[in-house]
Amino acid sequence: MVIAALVSFGILLVAWILAPESPRTAAAAADAPLPEPQPLAA
Amino acid sequence: MPTIDTGDTAWILMSAALVMLMTPGLALFYGGLVRRKNVLSTIMHSFFILGLVSVTWVLWGYTLAFGPDTGLGIIGALDWLALEGVTGEPSDTYATTVPHLAFMAFQMMFAIITPALITGAFAERKRFKAFVLFAVAWSTLVYAPIAHWVWSPDGWLFGLGVLDFAGGTVVHLSSGIAALVAALFIGRRTGLVEPATEPHDVPMTVLGAALLWFGWFGFNAGSALGANGLAATAFVTTNTAAAMAAITWVTISWLHKGTPSVLGAAIGAVAGLVAITPAAGFVTPAASVLIGLGVGVVCYGAAQLRLRARIDDALDVFAVHGVGGAFGALATGVFATTAVNAAAFDGLLAGNAGQLLTQVIGVVTVAAYSAVATASILFVVNLVVPIRVPGQEEEQGLDLAQHGEVAYQV
Repeated sequence: MVIAALVSFGILLVAWILAPESPRTAAAAADAPLPEPQPLAA
Repeated sequence: MPTIDTGDTAWILMSAALVMLMTPGLALFYGGLVRRKNVLSTIMHSFFILGLVSVTWVLWGYTLAFGPDTGLGIIGALDWLALEGVTGEPSDTYATTVPHLAFMAFQMMFAIITPALITGAFAERKRFKAFVLFAVAWSTLVYAPIAHWVWSPDGWLFGLGVLDFAGGTVVHLSSGIAALVAALFIGRRTGLVEPATEPHDVPMTVLGAALLWFGWFGFNAGSALGANGLAATAFVTTNTAAAMAAITWVTISWLHKGTPSVLGAAIGAVAGLVAITPAAGFVTPAASVLIGLGVGVVCYGAAQLRLRARIDDALDVFAVHGVGGAFGALATGVFATTAVNAAAFDGLLAGNAGQLLTQVIGVVTVAAYSAVATASILFVVNLVVPIRVPGQEEEQGLDLAQHGEVAYQV
């Protein structure tokens, strides 16, 4: 069982090396950020 | 004559508080996953249950679940109605080194979070009044009997030898199956954008998952019912399985969709916590690595299948808690060893294949009972109060339509 646990983590390590660098489908653009609050006029 | 151990008592009371925190954590976990017009109503489900089941558990829930058996191993008698006879002295039966009231309080927190888990299935479309009736009925007619079957020494599944350290079947399988039934009963949300509605606040969900993970140490390590080595074992296996499932889920979603999903890390961790729950005090740390890996793969697959089946279990309660709970219960039958817990049984890998069969019986009976009883409750509640809100309220959002409040002013 110890060997199986070590192997399973090794599989994840290999997967991280082989994992893609970018999304397979284009991600939706995030909404425009909210405007920063402005100080009240004196 | 049982005597109180102060260390055990401190740990059980602390664990009860940890498990209590899981329900507000669940509220945040679910709240972040819904649209912004439904965040308060989703949070309210969990928070209201915290109050509701705290009262029903004291009045009748505890005695139904843990009271002296009525004779068939099905349900407890009413001897402890409103906690009559449940005192600061230890019980003769349960956790005999802590006050009976401390054990009761610890179990109360499990009873609270279980119906709260189901609420993720009918989020964004359930009428609050119907939800209240459903929660009272489900807690009484589904949770209490199943807890008695599995955890009372006179319960019929306990007698068969079903192993469930902290609630894989009692809490997660029962609620996960109920969630699936509820999602099918109430139907899909209107105007749902495929493949699924985007979460409105991922950081809120991650914070909720972190609180769940933290509280789960009380859930599982507290279930040792003492401040001892078994609690330490459960603590380590719990953390290990959650960690392994989180990184496994992220890896699979990375390979599948091209990016390492933050939301996937949160959901994967919860899946790992679910799966280790029945096994935490029966398996080795190495086994918990494999359980975390396995449940990460299985629950990710279940979530993808749920999407393809177009079942609107809004927050994937069935895929994570139903499938994860069943997986964990079966994994217990595979990996359990008396080297970890001499009071339990060996599993398949320790030469006892019969334990896996026993676990299968436990999974099937709990799932079947939860499905039938949940469907019956939903049917009856729907006759009294329509379960689903009208279409215009769903369009408006439940926060305003059902609670007269909005979460965000910007």
